[in-house]
Amino acid sequence: MTDSKYFTTTKKGEIFELKSELNSDKKEKKREAVKKVIASMTVGKDVSALFPDVVNCMQTDNLELKKLVYLYLMNYAKSHPDMAIMAVNTFVKDCEDTNPLIRALAVRTMGCIRVDKITEYLCEPLRKCLKDEDPYVRKTAAVCVAKLYDINAQLVEDQGFLDQLKELLSDSNPMVVANTVAALSEMNESSPSGSPLIEMNAQTINKLLTALNECTEWGQVFILDSLANYSPKNEREAQSICERITPRLAHANAAVVLSAVKVLIKFMEMLSSETDFVSTLTKKLAPPLVTLLSSEPEVQYVALRNINLIVQKRPDILKHEMKVFFVKYNDPIYVKLEKLDIMIRLASQANIAQVLSELKEYATEVDVDFVRKAVRAIGRCAIKVEQSAERCVSTLLDLIQTKVNYVVQEAIVVIKDIFRKYPNKYESIISTLCENLDTLDEPEARASMIWIIGEYAERIDNADELLESFLEGFHDENTQVQLQLLTAIVKLFLKRPSDTQELVQQVLSLATQDSDNPDLRDRGFIYWRLLSTDPAAAKEVVLAEKPLISEETDLLEPTLLDELICHISSLASVYHKPPTTFVEGRAGLRKSLPAKTEPTPQPSASVIPAQDSLIGDLLSMDLNAPPTYNPPSATPPVVDLLATGLDNLLGNDAPVSSTTTGLLGDIFGIAPVVTGYIAPKQMWLPADKGKGLELWGTFSRKNGQISMDFTFHNKAMQPMMDFAIQLNKNSFGLTPAKPLLVTPLQPRLSQEVSLPLATTGAIQRMEPLTNLQVALKNNIDVFYFATIVPMHVYFVEDGQMDKRLFLQTWKDIPAQNEVQYILSNVQCNTETVVQKMQQNNVFTIAKRNVEGQDMLYQSIKLTNGIWILNELKISPGSPNITLSLKSVSLDIAPGVCQSYDAILHS
Amino acid sequence: MTSSTYDPDGGLFSYFRNLLGGREMRILILGLDGAGKTTILYKLQVGEVVTTIPTIGFNVEQVTYKNLKFQVWDLGGQTSIRPYWRCYYSNTDAIIYVVDSADKDRIGISKDELLYMLREEELQGAILVVLANKQDMDGCMSVTEVYQALGLDALKNRTFQIFKTSAKKGEGLEEAMDWLSNALTSRK
Repeated sequence: MTDSKYFTTTKKGEIFELKSELNSDKKEKKREAVKKVIASMTVGKDVSALFPDVVNCMQTDNLELKKLVYLYLMNYAKSHPDMAIMAVNTFVKDCEDTNPLIRALAVRTMGCIRVDKITEYLCEPLRKCLKDEDPYVRKTAAVCVAKLYDINAQLVEDQGFLDQLKELLSDSNPMVVANTVAALSEMNESSPSGSPLIEMNAQTINKLLTALNECTEWGQVFILDSLANYSPKNEREAQSICERITPRLAHANAAVVLSAVKVLIKFMEMLSSETDFVSTLTKKLAPPLVTLLSSEPEVQYVALRNINLIVQKRPDILKHEMKVFFVKYNDPIYVKLEKLDIMIRLASQANIAQVLSELKEYATEVDVDFVRKAVRAIGRCAIKVEQSAERCVSTLLDLIQTKVNYVVQEAIVVIKDIFRKYPNKYESIISTLCENLDTLDEPEARASMIWIIGEYAERIDNADELLESFLEGFHDENTQVQLQLLTAIVKLFLKRPSDTQELVQQVLSLATQDSDNPDLRDRGFIYWRLLSTDPAAAKEVVLAEKPLISEETDLLEPTLLDELICHISSLASVYHKPPTTFVEGRAGLRKSLPAKTEPTPQPSASVIPAQDSLIGDLLSMDLNAPPTYNPPSATPPVVDLLATGLDNLLGNDAPVSSTTTGLLGDIFGIAPVVTGYIAPKQMWLPADKGKGLELWGTFSRKNGQISMDFTFHNKAMQPMMDFAIQLNKNSFGLTPAKPLLVTPLQPRLSQEVSLPLATTGAIQRMEPLTNLQVALKNNIDVFYFATIVPMHVYFVEDGQMDKRLFLQTWKDIPAQNEVQYILSNVQCNTETVVQKMQQNNVFTIAKRNVEGQDMLYQSIKLTNGIWILNELKISPGSPNITLSLKSVSLDIAPGVCQSYDAILHS
Repeated sequence: MTSSTYDPDGGLFSYFRNLLGGREMRILILGLDGAGKTTILYKLQVGEVVTTIPTIGFNVEQVTYKNLKFQVWDLGGQTSIRPYWRCYYSNTDAIIYVVDSADKDRIGISKDELLYMLREEELQGAILVVLANKQDMDGCMSVTEVYQALGLDALKNRTFQIFKTSAKKGEGLEEAMDWLSNALTSRK
């Protein structure tokens, strides 16, 4: 017999038994067997060998059995990816079951099975479930889309699931809306481009706000978190969202409260701080935060970490609430330490007396860590609130008198800082400090004490003896202490050279010859050479005036703080670290607070994220070769001055033409003036992405010529030169008309440059239409960014249409090619509208007054010859203007509307 | 009690078995994709022609025919699923092999799959019913042509029979099931 018998499948053992039971005819036996299998699975036994047999039990009327089989599938489908296909048909059937529970169960399980081979079969059932009549099924399906997106993002986009999700955002059931929002935010976070998959607009936000009041606390958190990622178009929208969210602050669930706080603090950035609304909101934010502190310690800790951020961002909110941060005797240590931190941040002249008496109390507690922090806190108060410094110092002296070792050491460390902050004020206490010299055993305290002795050597008679005593065990000291000792003795020598020469020699030789520490050796050598070559220079260097220490050395860096504010109520806000530092595998878009915006929405330039296709496009451009420029052969149409001039004279309704100024300008020899609206420059390339090059820019139209206006800032340490630019193919064929001329840019300098553009380049439709991708090269690197070209630079000068032709064209363009926009908050009367638009080559053809409303008819011609016909309805006294736009190509409509908005708000 | 009561081969026992319904018979419906397996299954079960989609996986239903209970497994016929047919072979009493009589191009593949399957040891005792389906289609092969094309004349040691059917019209199924029930009850 061969040994092959050892490899044949066993006909005995547990697996074999289970296998035969699973194939039993008796339903009861079968169910028991599946239960046994699941039990084995949960305790970690490998029962994956039973996969086909368990899958065969899947088609059953018994809900319990079905659930168990699904559970098995979720666990083992991955280990039998090919065989998993046998389960597909059952899923498809179950998704059409009459019982909504089974439909939901099937769609949920499908989402959990991460097997590529079967995902495509799951699309149809999923599509059906997204439209299911039962909200529970729809909700489950929405979540399933997010799971599918994680497996195959492309599939989700191709199958149109995003549009279906978008529809579900307006679902009648709040639970569905909330789960859709949750699914979307999860997908957004993992989206490769980092940009949101579905742009929220005011309408969807409105839907979310309605659902917010009706759904569960989980749903509320999802919706609030998603609102936090939305950027309201203007201050008014931000304020109205804030108003509708404020009631959530009263919710019993801490997560809902914190998420609401996050949205409010974020949007408050957009509101002008002087308004009543902001001050009321500030008042309303305090009580819910205070309430969080009455929950269990774990929740308290999370709340405190978040409050720590809030206090740094907006100290006003909790400035009157100092008392709630006073430590209770039975608080756990982590809560105590966090409270202490917040107390110091809130300390001000108004409450310092209270705070100090509390801190003094804490310094006598038993927990060593807490006591240490309390002592430090007293020092920080002294530095923060100048008026309290004296009281703080006397409190610290009292504490030193207690002779408790660690209290004394901490006190000495903070007193060193107080000396730095308030020079020549409290040196009288040095003698008291010196009394405790022997008890200091911690490096930081020793180093601090040595620094004090060196700094005030001239006032301490026995400074040399004191320092010498430290020198004995020099090599056993911590580096920090060694360095301090070296510096202090050199200071002493410079102040009292006569009797300390020996000492300085000794320390220099210890530091340079007997030490292995390079820092110490280097510092030793520097002092040695300074002293031996030019003692006067040494004095200037070593005894130089020190800069004042900053009041808040422990504050978070502002940009980090802003980022963390956006992550309130998440792990990031507890760690005080951005998520990218502790979540692996996610590129993660960094969040930032909204800027205070102008009333008009400014399409912001974005640095192109790593999109393969895009970079590919740009890389294929040869950036190193001298760029060839298309000569502006097809120059923008030259304005026929005479003709329009005559029109002006003859036409009755023709408005004042901008060319008149050109004409007059010619006559009077005035230099051509820029008449069109120019948007303020935006940051196109931040310095950290541009390797030190910060680029701001905008687009303008001057005398029939489009131009790209840059400001280059060199924030690097080296000069920048050899600038060159290329524009990717774009919707309007924009291309440089001349090479980019930038003179070499020295560090810290800026330069303004204008680049004339022609519209004769290659054309490729961009999304959005006004998008422009730019590659900029200098001697350091090539940078890619994308920006939006405002539509109005394409408005050409001969865009005035004949009145009759206008009427005819308006009729000819079908009604479905008409779109309507509301331009809100326009502070212009009819005449200024005419004038402002005229300056940007939007020509008013006719004007009517209908029932007290002014109707303006305007025409625009784009560089590519497309005509746009507009009707404006202006009601006197109302800030809203209705814009009806007609054009054969409606793609340009949003861009034109934005231009109107920008020009009328300029 | 006579010994014949205990004799499983005895007529008396099989009489009782038929009367009480007895053990459920396990039947597999196999065949290439698009042959009409799922349609046949539901025609047998609910007596109606239902709209079907390609079966990616399997369907299993209880079918009662003339007092006999069958557990009928309808397995998907796609190339990717055929390898898993063998997971269903054990304890199978009968196989209904469905052939699309109008699909002349793939009749060869159908034959290969059939012969490959019949070689399986677990199926040696199984009765075979071949259904030359879609007889309602114009220009389809006749039952004799299907018989030839599948090489059934070379089949040895197998209880089998071929029927012409149209699942859509419900023709021929009854005859096939009658024959199958008889064959199963009189087996051994």
